[in-house]
Amino acid sequence: MQEFINQFFDVGFMVDHFDEVLEGFWVTIQLSVLSGILALIWGLILATLRQLPGKGFMPVRAVTIAYIDVFRGIPLLILILIIAGGVPALEFLPESLRLPQWFGKPDNFWFGVLAITITYGAYMAEVYRSGIESVPGGQMEAARSLGMSHGQAMRNVILPQAVRKVIAPLLNDFVALTKDTTLVSVIALSEVTQVANDIQSETFNSSALVLGALLFLAVTLPLARLIDKLIAREQGRFTRGAPRVEAL
Amino acid sequence: MRKTRLTALLAVFLLALASLVVAGCGDSDDDTTASGGSGSGGGEALTVGSDIPYPPFEQGKEGNYTGFDVELLEAVGKAIGRDVEFQDTSFDTIFLDLARGNFDVVASAATITDEREKTVDFTNPYYISEQAILVKEGSDIDSVEKLSGATIGVQQGTTGQEFVEEEVGTDPRKYPQGPDAVSALQNGTVDAVVIDIPVAENAVNASEGLETSTAIPTEEEYGFAVAQGESELLEELNEGLEQVIGDGTYATIYKKWFKRDPPKEIETATHEAT
Repeated sequence: MQEFINQFFDVGFMVDHFDEVLEGFWVTIQLSVLSGILALIWGLILATLRQLPGKGFMPVRAVTIAYIDVFRGIPLLILILIIAGGVPALEFLPESLRLPQWFGKPDNFWFGVLAITITYGAYMAEVYRSGIESVPGGQMEAARSLGMSHGQAMRNVILPQAVRKVIAPLLNDFVALTKDTTLVSVIALSEVTQVANDIQSETFNSSALVLGALLFLAVTLPLARLIDKLIAREQGRFTRGAPRVEAL
Repeated sequence: MRKTRLTALLAVFLLALASLVVAGCGDSDDDTTASGGSGSGGGEALTVGSDIPYPPFEQGKEGNYTGFDVELLEAVGKAIGRDVEFQDTSFDTIFLDLARGNFDVVASAATITDEREKTVDFTNPYYISEQAILVKEGSDIDSVEKLSGATIGVQQGTTGQEFVEEEVGTDPRKYPQGPDAVSALQNGTVDAVVIDIPVAENAVNASEGLETSTAIPTEEEYGFAVAQGESELLEELNEGLEQVIGDGTYATIYKKWFKRDPPKEIETATHEAT
């Protein structure tokens, strides 16, 4: 038992390597927040494009649906490897796009942002869509009958209601996103997984990885409780009496 | 009606899951018991952990592995009357896995280091190595000094990584497998790769536009590794290695993979297990 604790939960070891692992986790946070925000925006754009009415917009809708299907259908890890291996080899791109070193962050950071945004944008688009479709049809009819165009109706009536409904599922996807940033370690980004794994291969002790996991919990657990609260509040709006979901 | 159908489906699913688990458990038990014994059985296969591919030391597809390490260990195995079975595994946990008993031997172009000696035991050296700086043809990184300031790729957990971190003083890009670092060099993501000479030379031969600019004499020796305490197996392997070197098989295998004669030092290189 003592050996188990020494191998995985050596607190002294964790303290010794805390700065190192935290530095890696900071990269993880930057990657998560940046990709998350971009994915939220990109997902909303995709969802809106998907909803454009009328025959004229059929190609737009078709392309958007195809995009969402493809990027929800292929694994993020494969996409990361394709982007990191393929983009630098595209001779026709200027160097600043092929090997981006923007804001002091290395190219594999930006390839990670790109891959995650592309993929999670697709997931979040579907979440937005479920929100949009759950807004009662009467809202759109009422807005149009007041003289609003489709675009105005979406912007002023439908989307505000839709987005408020899906904040909890979107946050849920965001939590998944933060964990998926660990995949970017395969293209040699010094985020928390690679740093902790490195420490493990040098010292043969796994406590740094456990420390990394604990750092993740420090972020994901409060988010999980926040999501519960949001769900409870959202349900409380439409039911009288006790909420159906218990918020801790 | 619906409830019973649901429970029936659930029962079938759990049964399938359970049988998978049992089958899985059965297999891994076989692995450890067949080879974990104290070595007196003739012909019991040794499971060998290796990070494949790492040409020219280990490469090929499952069931068809080949390379210097593979052929040499097979020859050693033949000399001591044991079959060897190579298994692909990832390098950065390979010594931990060996210490835990996942394999009997590790043969993975592994350098003998003090740090690793704390967890595993090594045989006498079977290869004397140097690191090389691998660059694109025409690159101006032609010495260790020119490495500082460049983006360097290495394989995670290797002595190449150690060299860059300690001697050059920078943080290299650490890739899960050797060939990943070479790909990164080819598409320009890194400026240079520090990796074992034979691997570098193999990359130069296998693709266009690369060259090895400098050899870094790090005086590294590769050994086969066994878990600590497996002194009988260690002795057997050392005896087999000595025999293979003595009867010329070693030189034949060496010439096949490295296109030159082995250094004389290999005949007398020894290593005390701590």
